[in-house]
Amino acid sequence: MNDDIEKNNAQKKSSEDNDTLSRATSGEYKYGFTSDIDTEIIPAGLSEDVIRLISQKKGEPEWLLDFRLKAFRHWQTLTPPTWAHLKIPEIDFQSISYYAAPKAKDRPKRLDEVDPALLDTFNRLGIPIEEQKALSGMAVDAVLDSVSVKTTHRERLAELGIIFCSFSEAVKEYPDLVRKYLGKVVGYRDNFYAALNSAVFSDGSFVYIPKGVRCPMELSTYFRINASGTGQFERTLIVADDDAYVSYLEGCTAPMRDENQLHAAIVEIIVEERAEVKYSTVQNWYAGDAQGRGGVYNFVTKRGLCRGDHSKLSWTQVETGSAITWKYPSCILAGDGAVGEFYSVAVTNNYQQADTGTKMVHIGSNTRSTIVSKGISAGHSENSYRGLVKVDKKAEGVRNYTQCDSLLLSDSCGAHTFPVIDVANASAVVEHEATTSKISEQQIFYCNQRGIPTEEAVALIVNGYAKEVMNKLPMEFAVEAQKLLAITLEGSVG
Amino acid sequence: MNRTDALSQYLDLADENDALLNKDLRRTLWHIHNFGEAALGKIIANGWTPAQTTPPMCYPEALFGEDYGVNLARVPMPADVAASFRCGVPKLSSLLAIVANDAFTPTDALSANCPEGLTVTSLRSLEGELWRDAEEMMMDRADSPSPGAAINSLLLQDGVYIRTEAGTEVEKAVQVVNLFNSPVPLLTPRRVLVHAMPGSKVRVLLCDHSQTPSVAHCNIEVVDVWVEEDASVEIYDIEESSANTRRSWHLNVVQCAGSSLSVDTFFLAGGASQNNITVALAGPRAHTRLGGLAITSGSQQVDTQVQLYHRAPHCDSRQLFKSALFDTSRGGFGGCIVVDNGAVGTDAAQSNRNMLADPGTHMATAPQLEIYCDDVKCSHGATTGQLDERALFYMQTRGIPAEEARRMLTQAFMADVVDNISFEVLRQRMHVLVEKRLSGASASCDTCATACHGDTNPETVAE
Repeated sequence: MNDDIEKNNAQKKSSEDNDTLSRATSGEYKYGFTSDIDTEIIPAGLSEDVIRLISQKKGEPEWLLDFRLKAFRHWQTLTPPTWAHLKIPEIDFQSISYYAAPKAKDRPKRLDEVDPALLDTFNRLGIPIEEQKALSGMAVDAVLDSVSVKTTHRERLAELGIIFCSFSEAVKEYPDLVRKYLGKVVGYRDNFYAALNSAVFSDGSFVYIPKGVRCPMELSTYFRINASGTGQFERTLIVADDDAYVSYLEGCTAPMRDENQLHAAIVEIIVEERAEVKYSTVQNWYAGDAQGRGGVYNFVTKRGLCRGDHSKLSWTQVETGSAITWKYPSCILAGDGAVGEFYSVAVTNNYQQADTGTKMVHIGSNTRSTIVSKGISAGHSENSYRGLVKVDKKAEGVRNYTQCDSLLLSDSCGAHTFPVIDVANASAVVEHEATTSKISEQQIFYCNQRGIPTEEAVALIVNGYAKEVMNKLPMEFAVEAQKLLAITLEGSVG
Repeated sequence: MNRTDALSQYLDLADENDALLNKDLRRTLWHIHNFGEAALGKIIANGWTPAQTTPPMCYPEALFGEDYGVNLARVPMPADVAASFRCGVPKLSSLLAIVANDAFTPTDALSANCPEGLTVTSLRSLEGELWRDAEEMMMDRADSPSPGAAINSLLLQDGVYIRTEAGTEVEKAVQVVNLFNSPVPLLTPRRVLVHAMPGSKVRVLLCDHSQTPSVAHCNIEVVDVWVEEDASVEIYDIEESSANTRRSWHLNVVQCAGSSLSVDTFFLAGGASQNNITVALAGPRAHTRLGGLAITSGSQQVDTQVQLYHRAPHCDSRQLFKSALFDTSRGGFGGCIVVDNGAVGTDAAQSNRNMLADPGTHMATAPQLEIYCDDVKCSHGATTGQLDERALFYMQTRGIPAEEARRMLTQAFMADVVDNISFEVLRQRMHVLVEKRLSGASASCDTCATACHGDTNPETVAE
């Protein structure tokens, strides 16, 4: 089965190299399947009892339960945010099950002890753990629904003192570290969905890179929503201590569902002095069908705190999935000379809606940030960039450059840009530019002239358009990102 | 409705003095009044913050903080402000109308020089067809006024009505000088209606001045402009008043097919100024150019919000807004371009550039695009920065003192906004005014284009 898929993929690859945008955006969702794994689900609904139950099932310490309860009580006072350029159907938070875990059989010690159906799920996604283990040198902490199932390369990382494990393990094994950093960047009072996540988060990843360590491999987690009707509330915490470096990859695919699924994750990143974190995302959750039925609601709070001087945080995201995306990976540049980067490609088609962007908060002096955002809208979709560049009064010598471009591929879609630039220090230089246009007919005509059919020409042009961001992805991810966008890097050369 | 808030006093005032308010205006503004009531309720609930864009710190929150009076009884003001006014624009022969506080005061120059096909008159004096026209224009705005515009509608007693008949090209500029002169703090609702009939052409120059600079003044002004087919309207707004002046300015323009509009706003002096420009390109092939310049110092605040609606195909728009901030002044800019589905061939560009000269300044800007149509070309750009240190250094090596170099570069930074003025006499005068303003001299001195005092030659008016 596995080999067949590999072969298929290899065969497909050459044709996909010349694939078109329309195929990427209008093609049926090929990762739409459900794997049959015994899943333990607690009844739908949210109350203090449910939170106690989640906490108890996970065997959490008292302080974490307190954190959850505080968040829950705060969440009860909140209403969902409505400021985004999104039409969000009313969500019944009481009809969602807040915990789903693969049934606790004996925990597998070796790879072949892992539930074969589960492994097959990953294989069908085109991400065989064995292969990655052997070939790419990547450590994969595969998260299926909510509980971390298999962690690889732990030993090698442990030698360097790097901690890379599931959040629940981290709570058990490194409670002091987790307690020290949890909620320090995204507090439970931050927003509606952050409060919800803080109350019910099920699992996620924890990464700690000790002082002076350069992580030798790309760390990767594949998130996958699997059980029907369960929200997934991931929580990722990454800490890079002084002079450390890590590149973290997150990829998402979800099976096809008719029912909308809610995903409210939190990613917190802390970057200490001279440390660097690179966080890359390819998001391809189920976007709903061509009529806009179903699809994942992706309401994510991602934020990094560049606490140390000369620290650096770089966000790269390729957003192709989800029915609704509400996501603003941000950098708080508190240390002097800190650097924040945000590179994004967001593709929406059919009835997808995306409101995404970033916040760069410059607090430290001589901090720099770069924002490059590329939006591509097709069908009846709505695609918005929303950003904030804020320069604190005390931040001297700040530099920001923002570029956000939108490409329109149909006459019924929308492309919007909502940047806010707030400068309170006179030594700052902040630049913003944005353009919106459709693909130039001249360019297509030129391609046609050279014997390139219009569809391919569109792919070619879109490819060139998004290249600036795609180039920022780690090599390991570029292939998948290309597939998801149906853009080939090779095709555009020459 | 909760009327305990200080703001609602104006609503109560309007209710209590129903008889005093001009009967005709009152009757037609009745719907607006109802809307005003709703809008006031909104202000009371949300404070003085429009739903849009930039952070609220840039709004003159204290707009109604002062206990302003409203001259409902139309008590004549102590001095005859119109008589004391002398326009000091050398070689600028304009058709001058004066609005003393909120009362329209015609000048001899106007009645003597008013060409055929042009009407410049008081809103109170309108009758028959013209009144119906004015009424229609005011009612058109009743659906979506901002809180400031609602208060204006509520308390309005007079205004200026300007109309050009079909095919009339008015050579001279119509100059409306808003003069404030009062011994007590005063709120003045002002309104200007400009209706350019098909194929006509008119230039309107609006100036704001205060003759009693030490007295607090709240100016709420609504300017409604209709540009009919193939007509052309140019609006120039120069604000040059006192630090005690707070202004809420609303320009609403509807453009028909093939029309063109050009708007330039200049903030040279004042206290806090909140400007709202709304332009709807309702007919195909219309052209719009918006420009703005603000030089702020001290604790001045200037906020400009532009809403540009591309509703028809093949229209183009250009926007350029610049500000230079000194001392502890604050600025805000919000510009939203909305392109409706069906507005094919739209070409829209917006640029906002700001210069922060001193450490205490603060600028917030939000250039936005909302696009629902694919065949468009839209762009916006915003920068916030300071003068090029290398250029300053270079100039100093050539013997130009630092201050002088700074002033020259700031002036150069502002130059392209002024260069966009198609009204040549004003363009030349604005260059001088900007230079004066930057060199620290008061821009309101005798030789300025819009001086409201002084000994300048009255004959130039009648020229």
